[in-house]
Amino acid sequence: MNSQISIQELTRALHRLPGTEQTTERRRALQLFADHGFPGQREEDWKYTDLSSIAKISRTWLSADAEPDGPDLARIHAAMASIDAAWIVFANGSLLRDLSPGLSEPGVSASDAVELDVVAVPNRRDDPLSALNRALSRDGLRLQIKGDNAAARPIGILTLDAAQTAVSSSQVRVDIELAPGSAARFVELHLSTGEHEHYSNCVVNLVANPASSCDYVRIQQRDINHSQTARLNLRLQQDSHVRHAAFDLGGKLTRNDLQVDLVGQGASCVLDGLYFGVPGRHIDNHIRVDHCVGPSTSMQDYRGILTGKCRGVWNGKAVVHKGADGTDATQSNHNLLLSEHAEINAKPELEIYAEDVKCAHGTTVGQLDEQAIYYLRTRGIDESAARRILTGAFAAIIVEKSPIPELLGILNEKVVAELQKIAPGVVS
Amino acid sequence: MSVETENLEQLVNRRYAHGFVTDIASEGLPPGLNEDVVRAISALKQEPEFLLEWRLRAYRQWLEMTEPEWAHVHYPRIDYNSISYYSAPKSDKDRPQSLEEVDPKLLETYDKLGIPLHERARLAGVAVDAVFDSVSVATTFKKKLSEAGVIFSSFSDAVREHPALVKKYLGSVVPQRDNYFAALNSAVFSDGSFVYIPKGVRCPMELSTYFRINAANTGQFERTLIIADEGSHVSYLEGCTAPMRDENQLHAAVVELVALDDAEIKYSTVQNWYPGDENGVGGIYNFVTKRGDCRGTNSKICWTQVETGSAITWKYPSCILRGDNSVGEFYSVAVANNYQQADTGTKMIHIGRNTSSTIVSKGISAGHAQNAYRGLVRVMPQASSARNHTQCDSLLIGKDCGAHTFPYMEIRNPSARIEHEATTSKISADQMFYCRQRGISEEDAVNMIVNGFCKEVFNELPMEFAVEAQALLNVSLEGAVG
Repeated sequence: MNSQISIQELTRALHRLPGTEQTTERRRALQLFADHGFPGQREEDWKYTDLSSIAKISRTWLSADAEPDGPDLARIHAAMASIDAAWIVFANGSLLRDLSPGLSEPGVSASDAVELDVVAVPNRRDDPLSALNRALSRDGLRLQIKGDNAAARPIGILTLDAAQTAVSSSQVRVDIELAPGSAARFVELHLSTGEHEHYSNCVVNLVANPASSCDYVRIQQRDINHSQTARLNLRLQQDSHVRHAAFDLGGKLTRNDLQVDLVGQGASCVLDGLYFGVPGRHIDNHIRVDHCVGPSTSMQDYRGILTGKCRGVWNGKAVVHKGADGTDATQSNHNLLLSEHAEINAKPELEIYAEDVKCAHGTTVGQLDEQAIYYLRTRGIDESAARRILTGAFAAIIVEKSPIPELLGILNEKVVAELQKIAPGVVS
Repeated sequence: MSVETENLEQLVNRRYAHGFVTDIASEGLPPGLNEDVVRAISALKQEPEFLLEWRLRAYRQWLEMTEPEWAHVHYPRIDYNSISYYSAPKSDKDRPQSLEEVDPKLLETYDKLGIPLHERARLAGVAVDAVFDSVSVATTFKKKLSEAGVIFSSFSDAVREHPALVKKYLGSVVPQRDNYFAALNSAVFSDGSFVYIPKGVRCPMELSTYFRINAANTGQFERTLIIADEGSHVSYLEGCTAPMRDENQLHAAVVELVALDDAEIKYSTVQNWYPGDENGVGGIYNFVTKRGDCRGTNSKICWTQVETGSAITWKYPSCILRGDNSVGEFYSVAVANNYQQADTGTKMIHIGRNTSSTIVSKGISAGHAQNAYRGLVRVMPQASSARNHTQCDSLLIGKDCGAHTFPYMEIRNPSARIEHEATTSKISADQMFYCRQRGISEEDAVNMIVNGFCKEVFNELPMEFAVEAQALLNVSLEGAVG
C-alpha cells in the first residue's frame, strides 16, 4: 500500500526529535500508525479524500533528514498583531515560549504534555493520524483554565509552518482542560509560508468540566501549496457549553475532524463553519457528535462556497446513544456551487438509538437565486455587485454568529479577500 | 387486567397470519452451488447457449467477490452451499393451460392469502403472473394483453419466445458484476417476469405478480425485466407474502427497468415476507437489487414501495436518469418491528440535462428494530439543471429501536438544485392524549398517526395497493405499543 510508511523510517524521525525520549506511549503510537498507514479511500470516512499527496510529503520529509526551517518571525509578529489575543505560538511544530504570552495569562496554567497522555478522550486515541501526531509531536502543551475568563481577551493558538528550503511536515498537539465552572475563549489561527510542500497534522483535545463554557474560533488560512489534517476532540460534561466556529479560507488539502462527546446531562454545543473552495483546493469537514446522555443539544451549521476545479466534502453525523432521551440535534449544510468543475459531497447522517429525541437535518446545493439578482438589478445595482452582495450575505450568516464578537472585523476582512479570489472584480 | 390490555396482549401474541406451508411435492436440486448447479438450472429450463454462458460468467465473477458489510444490518454468515438453488412445483411438468387446470392446492394457497386469483384478476382487471416458488404457473389475461402487443410472461417463456429482446436488455441495467447479490442472482436466477410494452402503447391494465416462497431451504432468485418502448406506459405491481418458517431464507432478486423515449414505468411493491417471530428467530433475508434506466428523453420511472416484512431488508431501488428531461421518483414506507432490520433507500444518478428526481422516504421503527435510510443523489458534470428534492422522515415507537439516515449527495454541476431534509421524532404524548381523550384506543390511535405519517407515500400507490398497504401497516405494528 503506497500510504504505508515503514516503522524504521518513523523511528529514525523520532530519534531526530530534540529532547524527546522514546516513551512507551510514543512507541505504541508509532507502531499503531505504522500498522495502519494513512487512511485510504476504501475507508468510509475517507471516501472522498485522497491522502496520497500527504503520504508523499511525509515520505519525502522523513527521508530528507532535514532540520526544519527557523520561524518566520516577521510573519509571526504580523499575525499576532492582527488579532488582540494572548498568543501561544507554534512554529513548525515547536512551541516558541518567548513569543507566547498566553502561557502566563491569568487563569491559565500551562505544562508540557510530556507523556502525551490524552486526558480527554481515551476512546479516540486509535485513529492513525492522532497516533502519528502522538508519536512525532515535538512539543505538547497542556493548558488548564480556571475561573471565569469570558470577558478577558481570547487565548490565541498560532501555528505557523514554513517550508522555505525543503518539503516539511509538522505535528502540533494541545490539550485543554476547563475546570468546573470556568469559562474561556480561544482563537486558533493556522498559517503557512514557503514554496515547498508542507503537511501539518494538529490535534487539540478539550475537556469541558461541569458548568464550564468555551467559545472557540478556528481560522485556517494556509498557503495553497500546503495541506493540513486537524482533529479537535471535545468532551462536554454536565451543563457545559461550547460554541465553535471554523473558517477554512486557505490550504490545498484540508481535512478537519471535529468529534464531540456529550457525556453530561445538559451539555450543549454549537458548531458552525464556513469553507471556501477555490481552484486546486480540497476541503473536507467531518463532524461527529455523540449524544451519550440526555438531555443534550447539538447544532451544526456549515456553509460552503465553491468555485473552479475544487472539491468540498461535508459529513455531519449525530449519534444518539441508547438512553440519551431528550436529545435535540440539528444539522444544516448549505452549499453554493458557483462554476463548472466545482464539486460538493455532502452527507448529513443521523444514527438514533433512543426514543425521545428531536433530530433534523437539512442540506442544499444550489446557485445564487437569479430572481434575487434580478431584483437587485431592478434597483440599479449592477450584476457583479448584486452577486457580491448575495454571496457575501450567504457567508455572513456564519460570520455574524462568530462566538467571539471581537473577531467580526477581521473575519469579515478575510472573507471579503476570499470572495475577491473567487470572483475577481466582483467584490470591491 | 383490563379488557383492553388483554386484547392488546392477544394482538401482540398473534402469529403471522400468512404462516402455513402448502403441501405440494417440490422438485428441486440438492443444496450446494458450483458450475454444475448453474448448468443444471440452465438445462432444466432449456435455455439457449448464450444464457448459460451469461450465467457462468456471473458465477465466476461472484466467486471473486466478497459479501458486502457496509449496510447497517447484522446477521450470521450465510452458507451459500447449504441452499438449494432450484425448486419447482411438480405439476410444472405439464403446465396448466388455464386456471381450472391449476393445482387446486395452489389455488388453496391463494385463498389463504386472501387473493383469490381469478376473481381478483377479473374484478380488478389485473393480469396475474403468479410465481409459486420459482416457476410461474398461471398467467391470465394474456390474450387481452397480446392484442395490445404487450408481452407479459414468465422469464423462462420470454427466453424461449423472445430471445433477441432478452439478450439485448438482460444485464443492461444491472450488470452481472454489479454487486455480490446481483452476481449470485445472475448465476442462479430461477424465474421471474418479463414485460415488453411496444412503442406508443399504454398497457391496458396494471400488471401484477405475486411471489411466494414455499419449499424449505430454497433461496428464491427472481429476475424481472421490464422494457417500455418509446411513448409507452406501464404500471407494475409486485406483492409478496411468505409462510412461517424458523430458518432464514435468502431472497436475492434483481429487477431491471428500461424506459426509452417518452416512456413511463411505475413499479409498486408491497413486501410482506415473513419477518421472523417476536424474538427475532427466522425470517427472510431480502437482498434485492432494483434499478431503472431512464434511457430515453422525457422518460420517467417511479418506484413506490411499502416494506413491512423480512428479517433483513437490503434494497435500494434506483434510477439512472440518462435521458434529457427524464424523471425519477421514489416513494417508500419501511416499517420495522420486533428484531427486523431494514437498510433501504434509493439512488438517483443524474446524467442527462434537465433531469429531476423526488425522494420521499418514511421509516418507522418499533420494538428492537433498526431502520436505516441510505440514499445517493449524484449529479454528473454534464447533467445541467438537475433538480432533486429529498425528504426522509423517521418515526420511533419504543425505546429499544433505532432509526438512521445516511444520505449521500455528490454534486458536480453548478446548475444543480438539491434539497435534502430529514426529521426524526416519536409519536408525541400530546397526539396520543388527544386521540385517547376522544375515546380512540391506543392501538387505533397509533395506527391513525402512523397512517397520517405515511400519507404522502400512500397517495402514490395504485388503488389496488393503497388499502392493502394500510392494513399491512396496522398488522405490522401490532404489539408495538402498550
